Amino acid sequence: MPPQAPILAVHGLSAIRARRVVLEDVALEILAATVTALIGPSGAGKTSLLRCLVRLDEPAAGSVRLDGADVRGLDAGLLRRRVALVAQAPVMLPGDVRANLAYGLDAPREAELVAALEVADLDADFLHRPADRLSGGERARVAIARALTRSPEVLLLDEPTASLDARAATAIEVLMLRLAARGLAVLVVTHDVAQVRRVATRAVRLEGGRVRAQGLVAAVAGSGR
Amino acid sequence: MTGVLVAAGLVVLAVAISHRRGLGLERELAITATRATAQLAAVGALVTLVFEHVGLAAGFVAVMLTAAALTSGHRLRGIRRPVMIAGAAIVLGAGTGLAPLLITGAFELAPRELIPVAGILIGGAMAATSLTGRRLLEDVGESMPAIEARLALGVPARTALQDCDRRAVVTGLIPILDQTKNVGLVTLPGTFVGLVLGGASPVEAARVQLIVLLTVMGVQVVAAVVCAALVTRACVLPGERVEPPA
Repeated sequence: MPPQAPILAVHGLSAIRARRVVLEDVALEILAATVTALIGPSGAGKTSLLRCLVRLDEPAAGSVRLDGADVRGLDAGLLRRRVALVAQAPVMLPGDVRANLAYGLDAPREAELVAALEVADLDADFLHRPADRLSGGERARVAIARALTRSPEVLLLDEPTASLDARAATAIEVLMLRLAARGLAVLVVTHDVAQVRRVATRAVRLEGGRVRAQGLVAAVAGSGR
Repeated sequence: MTGVLVAAGLVVLAVAISHRRGLGLERELAITATRATAQLAAVGALVTLVFEHVGLAAGFVAVMLTAAALTSGHRLRGIRRPVMIAGAAIVLGAGTGLAPLLITGAFELAPRELIPVAGILIGGAMAATSLTGRRLLEDVGESMPAIEARLALGVPARTALQDCDRRAVVTGLIPILDQTKNVGLVTLPGTFVGLVLGGASPVEAARVQLIVLLTVMGVQVVAAVVCAALVTRACVLPGERVEPPA
């Protein structure tokens, strides 16, 4: 079987933040229908990398290619709909869950919003719940559902289970696997090695802004701290 | 002279309150009061001359605009070209009010009428620009997680900043809205007081005050909206990114 072409490919990426080099010559590939774990110690550059992938930060050097096309040639809004980023502490926008899911969409159909909720394992009643009264787990799933309403090809999750209890974290892990099974490329930042082994097929280890290892989880997650 | 001493005493009180509450405004209060004293003394000495020469009057208005742009620009530190942005908001705001008043003959183009009216309108535009711009910059700085959450959903940067823009304009207009609502009930504005003290009838003073007050409200709306639009634009970087103020 020929090797699978990456949906997202990073070459020679370097980034500077507050006069500090946070990423240096990073190269990695993210495959469709796969959960890839991005691991490494705090300050390794994991969040900086996610920000560069969706152009919230501009890298100092290197390139990011989405399905073969340099992202600098894409409209930034379109890029962020195709590569959806869910931040570590997702911000709920004012209003109810429906307003959050529909934000920035052009006349979304109710069925699309409900479908996104259902993928995130939330029922249609959630549409009318005030977004500022959700639990941590519900908030994480609504944030993922909100990203899914853009029909992304790649989903970037920055420590989605960091502040959740075990039950809520398990629900997010199940969701990641379900999304990968539907064809999405999922890149998840996590410090939890056991979680990496449960959900990821591939892993990338980042340390000091550099990629130290990448490949199958068995090889990468067991190759360091 | 007694009145000036009493007012100066109140400045000393204000400085003492600032010091006691740790507001850090002592220096600014003292400099502002000293500067106002010097400026009013200069105006008092020059105004007769300026009122008699159209060229000098035009120069005086230019000085007013420059000083207002520098003052508001100082409040907008942290973005690119703050003085230009403040200047544009003030000129457009004040111009929007001044032009129809002069064109319709509500006030004459004579320096004696032009300078006081221009001063009031420029001052109003400056206040709205400073307040709106400062509030917007603070809000953008505090709201970056929410702004980036919106950007991550694929909306343009200006859309992501809309809420900050709207909140800043509303805040910038609070003083003029409150002043206009309460005119005659809580406040007797300067134009009214000045005209009455100068010998005009209260009815005539009220008529002129109404023109000025309503015009200032329009001026401030234009200045606040222009300021917010330009500050928002200054916060947007290529690639639909938002740069928080430095």
